[in-house]
Amino acid sequence: MSEVLRREVVYLITAITTIIMFVEFFFIGTWSAAEELRTWAIIIANIALGLGAVRLLAEHVRNIQRRRAGVWPFSIWLIILFVVMFLSGLTGYAAKHDPSSNPVYNWLFKWPYTSLGQTLYAITGFYIFSAAYRAFRARNIDAALLLIAGCFVILTNATVGEVIWSGIPVIGRWFLDYGQVPGMRCFLIVAAFGMLAYGFRALLGRERGFYGEVAGE
Amino acid sequence: MVKREEENMAIIVEGRGMALVILVLSYILFYVFMYLGRKGREIPVRTLPPMAAIPEGIGRAAEMGRPVMFTPGIAGDLNDPTQGPQVLAAISILGYIARECAKTGVKLDVFMPIPTALPLTEETLRTAYMAEGKPEEFSPDMIHFIAEQSPYLTAVLGYFQRERPATNFLIGGFYYESVVMGEAGNAIGAFQIGGTANIHQMPFLVATCDYMLLAEELYAAGASISKDPDILGCLRGEDIMKFILVALMIIGFLLGFARVDILVKALGW
Repeated sequence: MSEVLRREVVYLITAITTIIMFVEFFFIGTWSAAEELRTWAIIIANIALGLGAVRLLAEHVRNIQRRRAGVWPFSIWLIILFVVMFLSGLTGYAAKHDPSSNPVYNWLFKWPYTSLGQTLYAITGFYIFSAAYRAFRARNIDAALLLIAGCFVILTNATVGEVIWSGIPVIGRWFLDYGQVPGMRCFLIVAAFGMLAYGFRALLGRERGFYGEVAGE
Repeated sequence: MVKREEENMAIIVEGRGMALVILVLSYILFYVFMYLGRKGREIPVRTLPPMAAIPEGIGRAAEMGRPVMFTPGIAGDLNDPTQGPQVLAAISILGYIARECAKTGVKLDVFMPIPTALPLTEETLRTAYMAEGKPEEFSPDMIHFIAEQSPYLTAVLGYFQRERPATNFLIGGFYYESVVMGEAGNAIGAFQIGGTANIHQMPFLVATCDYMLLAEELYAAGASISKDPDILGCLRGEDIMKFILVALMIIGFLLGFARVDILVKALGW
């Protein structure tokens, strides 16, 4: 298939899919084609998942065969864990239609994986703190206003603010309800229009970026 | 009885009528201005500072002999109707970044945690390097695929410490990794360009990045580079729709004072 034809086929599929979804969203009536498309999307995504797993294993087997410096021991570890998780989940599913019914699978997921994830998530507070410190430096009038608003909001959420002065939570909540919400909604509306225009160009086949073409050409 | 017949006659889902009208009106405006743009009508658009800063960031990496890192965040699975388009827009920008890296010979590392976007990323990079006449410099190994948020984030943090990239591009749909990567990037002294339409992550990227593509700027970034009449036409259409919405808000505000709810009912049609 030539490159041009291949591209045209992608444009056509995108346009047809968009129109079907559009009609289903706005017009009454059972639109089974949209439901069918969603089912296809799930099936294709799952096939891709399987292919991805095979490719992942192939890549790491190659790393081990070539003794790729600094990588191959981790590739062995990855394959071991992959096999253990896959087999334990599969046996759990075969026994009770639930992978987590297998204690090995459950333990690996619940203790090492979740604990590590939660630990990483917990450190986010420190990163937010240092980012806030940078943002709150009063370098100009805008930053100074941000600093003032930020102090009120922090003291509102920290509850100690109310002990210092009962007016602090009132002002802090005012910033949140009447300062933050309209601003955020403004960005939301603007972003929605941007997305609408992006979708329209994709529908007409005039958005070339996501077909693998390059902006700036 | 009459009401039931009217309900049976309805073809538009209740509550979505006005949304359809606004959508169709937007599409008409987009099309008209795209048409005019193609006919040669000039549509002025300001240069987006973050896009203008991309060559600067890559030049910095070339001078320092360090790599450039790009990641679209983990929020934007392509099946997600709100986050997915952000990743698609980010991949369009990645194409431009890749071309600049190919031109200057700077190493580009892409951290892609979204499985559905992986083939598209590979294709975009391959095309970019081919467009610059250096297909041999493209390697699938420049794309680091790490699924799941915590492993992905850990890998990026480790990469920052080992490779110390000169420039980071954090453009796409993000969750909490935005602030962690942004701050970690700052700690290594990297020049950072961010971009997202996710309103919850915007403040973090604004605080941690040197330049930032906010909301629709993410989708319009291509126009700033290419001056494509289609994108410029859509931008003009978007601006007019924004004015219409602002006018509706002001009218609704005034009608609210007069206790007239005709506009509220019309919007709920």
